[in-house]
Amino acid sequence: MNRYTVRSWVIIGLFGALWGVVELTLGSYLHVIFPPQANTFLTGVVMGGIGALIALTGRHFVPNQGSVFLIAVVTALIKLLSPGGARLGPFVAILMEGLLMEVALLIAGRPRAWGFALGGALAVGWNFFHKFVMMRLVYGGSVVEVYEKMVKEGSQMLGLDISAALLILGVLLLVRLIVGGIAGWSAWALGGAVARRLGRRVPSGEEVVR
Amino acid sequence: MSPWGYLLFTLWSAVLAVLLHGWQLAGLAAVQMAFGWAWSREALRMLRRPRFWIFVLTAVAVGPFLIGEPDLVLGPLRISREGWAVGVEMAGRAFVLTLAFSVGIGALSLSDVVAVFDRVGLRGLGFAVGVAMNLFGTLREMATVTFQTLWLRGGRRRPWLTLRLFLITTVANTLRYGDEVVSAAAMRAFDPTRGGSGVLPLRRADLWLLAALAVCTGIFFS
Repeated sequence: MNRYTVRSWVIIGLFGALWGVVELTLGSYLHVIFPPQANTFLTGVVMGGIGALIALTGRHFVPNQGSVFLIAVVTALIKLLSPGGARLGPFVAILMEGLLMEVALLIAGRPRAWGFALGGALAVGWNFFHKFVMMRLVYGGSVVEVYEKMVKEGSQMLGLDISAALLILGVLLLVRLIVGGIAGWSAWALGGAVARRLGRRVPSGEEVVR
Repeated sequence: MSPWGYLLFTLWSAVLAVLLHGWQLAGLAAVQMAFGWAWSREALRMLRRPRFWIFVLTAVAVGPFLIGEPDLVLGPLRISREGWAVGVEMAGRAFVLTLAFSVGIGALSLSDVVAVFDRVGLRGLGFAVGVAMNLFGTLREMATVTFQTLWLRGGRRRPWLTLRLFLITTVANTLRYGDEVVSAAAMRAFDPTRGGSGVLPLRRADLWLLAALAVCTGIFFS
């Protein structure tokens, strides 16, 4: 933490606020249009993708390890302190997305386009598991039984084999990973474009502060 | 009560929400309501929202049909009593876990959060949260104005170019605001690594709360 300058903390705060703006405006609209019980796919993909884009763009200007996770912490706290009330689900989702992006960047080592794309893919991919994890956490173990029966009865109702239902789930996960990858890749391009326009030098890999 | 009291209550409630079963969850809900009534009335507004009740009662509605074997006929419906009981318990757990978060951490103010970060040695993070909260409205306004300007200047005809320009302009403007904040912080000689960590003492109400929670824990597990 001692490697973080005042400028680093300011940029972390600002990118956290930017992500928070999207969560509290677009996120609220999407949650009204698509209630969580009815659709978690579209809302998760859109919000996760934009969140990954903003946080990873922020990494361009704060090349310290941990900065993406800290941006997520700031966003999660904004969400928590917002007038909409404290909700456990989005708080956990934002922190997990930040953590997964950070893990991907750690794996990549130096700032690389594929590291950003992997970070975005993991972050948006988390949305697939988030609902299951939160339901297990909030409702308890019995929710697993509910899910199993829903998949079985849903498959019977639609005349599909169980493996087809699993295939659908796989496709939904794949779509999330692709969208996240594109968001990460776009963050890499966006950060570079902004740095060039403002005449700021994009830090090279060797300058990453550990 | 100090922020430590709210944090303690959140942690205690969340742990018990996972450990308790059956009627004990109703007892925990009663304790949470009493805490909310005393120290966090704003947070109890959540109970007036239909969305909250839809979330909680979904388990009660679904349980009798999807858990256990049907052993009761109610008109055209065949339901399971076991599923009903499990559904009610699931709803109870969702209720107390949501309330734990809302009346505890959710009741903290921005200055409380910054003070807690300061006290635990994360002064920079507290500063970042302060910057984010204070510039939140400005950034939202800036993004809206940018979008409207691009839209009015033919954005509808070239959506991809407009999106690209919107993102670049928004991020560039955000960084410009950042430069101003850095200058302001430098003028005040702010250093995130130095400066006395703010004192955030325990208050008498925190100690009473600690004692009350210890008694409640004893009752729940006796």
